[in-house]
Amino acid sequence: MQADPTLALDLDDIIKESRRLSMSITPDTGPWDVIVVGSGAAGGMAAFQLATAGIKVLVLEAGRMIDTQKEYRTMEWPYASMRRQRLPGDERAIAVAEYNFVDRPYGANPAFAKYKKVSSYAANTFSRNWMVNEKEQPLTGTPYAAVRARVLGGRTNLWGRGALRYGPLEFKAKSHDGYDVDWPISYEDVKPYYDKVDVLLGCSGTVEHLMQIPDGIFQRASKLNCVEVEFKRAIAKMGRHYIPGRAGVTTDGVLNKYRTRCMGRGRCGRGCDLQSSFHSPTALIYPARDTGNLTVRPYSIVAEVLFDQTRNRASGVRVIDSNTRETMDFKARVVVLGAGTLESTRILFNSKSRLHPTGLGNSSGLLGCYLSEHLMGIRGSGFMPSRIGTETTLDDGRPVPPYVPRFRNLADRHPDFLRGYHFQGGGGCAEYPGMAHETAGYGKAFKSSVRKHYPAMISLGGFGEVLPRKENRVTVDSEVKDIWGLPVLRFDYRFGENELKMAKDMAVTVEEMLVAAGAENIKISSEPLPPGWSIHEIGTARMGDDPKTSVTDRFCRLHDVNNVYMADASPFVSGGTQNTTWSILAICWRTMDYLKEQMRAGNV
Amino acid sequence: MSDSTFPTPRGVSRRTVLRALGSGAGAAALLPWLSNDGLLAFTELQRRMAPRAPKVVPAVRFATLQALVEAIIPADERSPGAKQARVADYIDLLLSESEDEVKQEWLDGLAALDAEAKARFGSSFAGLSPASMDRLMADISRHELEPITPLEFFFKTTKRATIHGYYTSEIGIHRELRYKGNQMLPEFVGCATEDGKDCEHCKQKAGK
Repeated sequence: MQADPTLALDLDDIIKESRRLSMSITPDTGPWDVIVVGSGAAGGMAAFQLATAGIKVLVLEAGRMIDTQKEYRTMEWPYASMRRQRLPGDERAIAVAEYNFVDRPYGANPAFAKYKKVSSYAANTFSRNWMVNEKEQPLTGTPYAAVRARVLGGRTNLWGRGALRYGPLEFKAKSHDGYDVDWPISYEDVKPYYDKVDVLLGCSGTVEHLMQIPDGIFQRASKLNCVEVEFKRAIAKMGRHYIPGRAGVTTDGVLNKYRTRCMGRGRCGRGCDLQSSFHSPTALIYPARDTGNLTVRPYSIVAEVLFDQTRNRASGVRVIDSNTRETMDFKARVVVLGAGTLESTRILFNSKSRLHPTGLGNSSGLLGCYLSEHLMGIRGSGFMPSRIGTETTLDDGRPVPPYVPRFRNLADRHPDFLRGYHFQGGGGCAEYPGMAHETAGYGKAFKSSVRKHYPAMISLGGFGEVLPRKENRVTVDSEVKDIWGLPVLRFDYRFGENELKMAKDMAVTVEEMLVAAGAENIKISSEPLPPGWSIHEIGTARMGDDPKTSVTDRFCRLHDVNNVYMADASPFVSGGTQNTTWSILAICWRTMDYLKEQMRAGNV
Repeated sequence: MSDSTFPTPRGVSRRTVLRALGSGAGAAALLPWLSNDGLLAFTELQRRMAPRAPKVVPAVRFATLQALVEAIIPADERSPGAKQARVADYIDLLLSESEDEVKQEWLDGLAALDAEAKARFGSSFAGLSPASMDRLMADISRHELEPITPLEFFFKTTKRATIHGYYTSEIGIHRELRYKGNQMLPEFVGCATEDGKDCEHCKQKAGK
């Protein structure tokens, strides 16, 4: 294979540093007050809140540390590699269709036998070193495109930056439409924390006074480009909004010595080496470590939460060191799980004891139920005539494209489905003219047609709420284990009738908006992407006031064990159409405020 | 394809390197972020890529491949085409890491294209007159959406690879599309109407 400097990153130093840390941090190195599992949005925020309050924290990260300057190759051109940013020959990212027809576990498929590493669809030349190998970490059950990253910062290293708040329509969804239950908390409970997250981390956006998408404390917003302004003016006449995308990116700067304000380069999803985009390592973990109160132990796979029967509480966690395979027990007063909705749920299932035979926190039998996320795949595109044949402009130098907030089931009631959806997407000149693949012909006519239509492209994709349903669930597989001998997640999750009817409506409305905007050559994709594609999973340890019908209380603490808290989206009751990360950050902050108060009062 | 597309790294000036990169405003914006050494290393990288000896496609068919990708995306008054963008090298490299069936598919496709050219016009594909080549191209691209014959399928496969190879090349990105992103930008400009002015690019009026 031809040497390719863009693929052969020299990670020796960061691997050495990770090994040094994992070797030097043993159960005797403590004591720690709180163990936090995971270092992404949830674990990062938990660690930051506790460490800055003077609490001794141990963060356990399953992957290694990260060298953001080396690994975030933000400005790398595709031609820096002759392979043009393709994965090397012995690695494979699972393709869209394969999720639906390849048997689970995906990595065990004979067609993939020749690959050393099989990754989720989200693996690319930039994220490949962070992605879990499906051969080592299998999943079973129904098709599910679970994206798992094991490295400091987790998926925040490659996240989509959509920073949207849940509003009253989410927290009080049942009051609005009668389906399922309300959250036990309200928007007013969480609003102060969203505000604080905006200020701490930086959020770019515009004040719009829309009840379906509450405003925040915003930094400089992105503007709309030509085709987007045209689209916005057209759909305004239909009573629909098209607003600058809200991004978890600091455009004016924040008080954090590791971060710089956005310089409009685009390409944030491969990691922003200016750290303008929120990435947990620089935004939360490093500042928390600077307090002297945080210890980060990489290569630490948490097998289970240890339960002390005599005191009816968690005593710590059991860790498998992924280098030495050594098993060790770390102890603390409190355990915070922030490994991501799915992985945290798996840890609870795998924490079995005599008193908790079906997993810790599962006396209700509801652990793993109510898995929800967003249905994706319904898209529309076209060309705006005003820009056909015009010269190239700079159209993509901003954190996220614009956004059409939810317009269904606000004041009205759609006859076919509950809840709603939104669209994200924009247009104009991008680095790669994807529409060339849809342009017929060859030769000079083909080439000039691509060039002419290049500035005129507009494209939008929908995100629809998947109704929380008890039967959509994960459990652990009774037979299949990962390479560490830990039972893997088994999915039993399908889109329901409500989602499929909603998807039909999405295809209709995106087309009618493009028609209204005068777009030419409109193309509609109406096939949903595989379940899990949104990476917005929530709900498998849902919160509530009644221990019989919920797993955690309103402060994300297990009803069954009063010193185990969930920092990720597993307690979320319903997820609207909004991208999940900003709510994880805000609700985790609130949970940590409560935990700090419990610790201060001597209750844990 | 000549080595002279890019200068040798030794003794070249920063200005020469920038010119070699050919990325105009983009390269200027890169400046503060790349040392001289960095720029030279980058140029060296490009240079080393240039003179690849094809690994999979034999010389005689490589000429066919080059002619075919150039017929799909040719040079015109605006920018060089797929040949100068070294799309054939790119395809050959990918083939060298592909399964045997895929390699064979391509070699068969190229052979079939030459055979067709010989049968109809008495010359290999690369040697066809512009008019003959155009007639052949028109025929094999006729059912692009739903190809029927092996050559129609081969056209579709080659076109997909050519588009990817060309529009990810320096020539495709900077000279053909004149892409302006991926540079340091204190503020995103957007449509002028966003700042309350008439826009010269889309002709939309302010405040409507």
